Amino acid sequence: MTAANKFGAKLRQTLLSNQWSFLLIVVAILSIIAGAINPRYWWLGNITNLLGQISVLSLAACGATILIISGNFDISVGANIGLSTVVMAILMRSGLYPPLAAAIGVLISILCGSSIGAASILFQAPSFIISLAAIGVFQGIALFITQGTIQTIYGQFETLGGAKIFGFLPLLFVIALAGYGVIHFILSHTQLGRSIYAIGNNPRAAYLAGININRRKLIFFAINGLFIGVASMLLLSRVGAAQPSTGTGIELQAIGSVVIGGTPMSGGKGNALGTFCGVLLWGVIGNALNMMRVDPYIQDVVIGLLIIFAVAVSSLRLRAQR
Amino acid sequence: MERDSGDILAIQGLTKKFGDTVALDKVDFNLCAGEVHCLVGENGAGKSTLIKILAGAERPDSGTIIAFGQTHSRLLPDQSLEAGIATIYQDVELITSLTVADNIFLGREIHNPWGFIDANAQNRKTSELLRSMNVELNPLSLVESLSPAQQQSLQIVKALYLNARILIMDEPTASLGVEEVKALLKLIKSLTAQNKAIIYISHFLSEIFEIGDRVTVLRDGKVSGSFNIAETTVAEVTRSMIGRNRSLFRVRDRVSTDEVVLQVRDLALRDQFSDVSFDLHRGEILGFGGVVGCGRSAVMNVLFGANQKTSGRIYLHGREFDVSNPAEAIAQGIAMIPEDRKTLGLFDMRSLLENVAIVRNEKNPPLVNHSAEIADTNILVDSLHIVSAGLQQRIGSLSGGNQQKAILARWLLSQASVYIFDEPTKGVDIGAKEEIYNRMIELVQEGKSILMVSSDMPELISMSDRIAVMRNGRVVAQVDNRETSEHDLLNHFLGIV
Repeated sequence: MTAANKFGAKLRQTLLSNQWSFLLIVVAILSIIAGAINPRYWWLGNITNLLGQISVLSLAACGATILIISGNFDISVGANIGLSTVVMAILMRSGLYPPLAAAIGVLISILCGSSIGAASILFQAPSFIISLAAIGVFQGIALFITQGTIQTIYGQFETLGGAKIFGFLPLLFVIALAGYGVIHFILSHTQLGRSIYAIGNNPRAAYLAGININRRKLIFFAINGLFIGVASMLLLSRVGAAQPSTGTGIELQAIGSVVIGGTPMSGGKGNALGTFCGVLLWGVIGNALNMMRVDPYIQDVVIGLLIIFAVAVSSLRLRAQR
Repeated sequence: MERDSGDILAIQGLTKKFGDTVALDKVDFNLCAGEVHCLVGENGAGKSTLIKILAGAERPDSGTIIAFGQTHSRLLPDQSLEAGIATIYQDVELITSLTVADNIFLGREIHNPWGFIDANAQNRKTSELLRSMNVELNPLSLVESLSPAQQQSLQIVKALYLNARILIMDEPTASLGVEEVKALLKLIKSLTAQNKAIIYISHFLSEIFEIGDRVTVLRDGKVSGSFNIAETTVAEVTRSMIGRNRSLFRVRDRVSTDEVVLQVRDLALRDQFSDVSFDLHRGEILGFGGVVGCGRSAVMNVLFGANQKTSGRIYLHGREFDVSNPAEAIAQGIAMIPEDRKTLGLFDMRSLLENVAIVRNEKNPPLVNHSAEIADTNILVDSLHIVSAGLQQRIGSLSGGNQQKAILARWLLSQASVYIFDEPTKGVDIGAKEEIYNRMIELVQEGKSILMVSSDMPELISMSDRIAVMRNGRVVAQVDNRETSEHDLLNHFLGIV
């Protein structure tokens, strides 16, 4: 065996052993290409902007990580964000102390998230379908209370979205990192986390090991709701306006990031670092394409193809492991 | 007279090993056209392996299979079908959402000139086929609306339509009622009249003596006897099924006390079992014997809270015990090592550590104390000699014996007072078996009590203090292991008095 071959085998071994290392390599390659075409990619302003952009998605993906590992789905995240941001904005416009308004919005998100878990337990139905139906409910309520109008709150709630630590690190991103820290702590250091894996891997065996599956499921959905609530708060602060369609489509990006990050759709394994790298890949692809001045319509095509590529490689990787 | 037509199937010196376990050891078997050749033996005797090899699902290590004059060292699934060998499994393999006719023609549909399926032609042919075999079924019925017996008949009809000349039937009557059994046996007799050959596997010796021409007995992977039904007796066949090497039996010290730990009175669960009463003493291993499906596991599931009893009472340490889920049963000191570790025990994507520590951690929420769980797990990994590349190894990649020991370790960490073992050594190698037995004995020596469901006769007799025999959902006998024999037990299992 030649030295090059040996090196190749070792590299393949590393790539095979960690999903996140593979994703980081893809991110690095994309960054090098983007930087070569447009040096401004590496400017501080762009990087700060990129980190801010992925913060909201990060929080949604944190919640989705917990749900997907445990074998559940919530595809009403976007509608949930739409409803809670609209409520926050209306309350702020009516003169309520903004942090209080934000807290009420977060509670609404937790309530909406938990109710999907509760309905899924009560009716013994897959949470995927329950949350599909909930999209209409949440969005309808948001449309009804706003009558479809945009709720602007310029100047009232900007600190969260605009603040930069040391003048360059967006507060949004720090909060997102804290979110990853929280799910990492839950997954690795609590019995709740162990039960997330156990239930996702083999719910029947988890039940027979004395885990109260229904109660746990409700907790998973409540945690997801909390993450959605915080994400809503950040999004509203960043954008300064809310409407019922705010957040639309974020659930699919979140699920995509989690799966790209190495969590199988059927659950049972996965981790916070993988999800972070999945989100990062998503953000970097979009940003890099912008920097390379790719036609916006073509961008969607390229994003789609790159995601398929990432999924294909990780699925081949999993098969090679087996 | 049928025997004169010669062998259509001859198996010579067939051997199959799974790891260290010899499933089949130089088995010879032959079959003539028009005969029913029965295959009997206890669970694990090698019957299933033999039929899997004939169906092409397993590959033998050595030996030859001569089917219709052609010699094979192994059969592939399509070779098996082509040779006209069809297996009718216990779990009916039909598409239940399709009609009777659709199922018969599945994959071989009749098309009309435009390339569409010609349903009329299919239904017409199905009617003819059913009529020719005296099976009363409507070709248009959905399979899901048929009874298990009718579905079985349909499988047979389908096999014959595919020109099967050898039908293998594995416990065909296990889930049938008396009338249905009669109808099935009649159908089988009519098949032999058409010169079809049948390999018939059943626990029920009465059926075998009713329809069989010959019977071959397997014991521990070897042929222990082969008889013409007309020239043998039930006693001779059962003697051949048992009579194991004494070394398979062990004698252990009894540590059973008079203190009753668990009292079960008139327990019933819908159509699963009824009138189940027994006492379990401190330091005792109470074995549960019986044929598959007699209700033993269902009783254990109720005691563990995984199913809710419909009536009856349970007392644990003298107090009424009524739990609605396993979590409550565990809290009261019950542990259950389930029968099917893959579906009911293992978290196959997770590490050895997580699998072992899960019940222990569940008792110590909310944080996982990493050093404590590793220390606890290591003690058991060492004492049970669980072989792994480390605590972080994925449990799905361990051997069956090590997986079973890991599940045992999980429950040893739960500090229960009553342990339920459902088939404790199913599919594990001899070494792991020994470790599990030793640990069970240690448990009773420590003053714990054990309920053990087992289909392994030497295990049942060697490990139990007493044995409760169940048949058709009832406890039909409770015997002391010193006062029983394989022969007596088998008679209780099968209902031969």
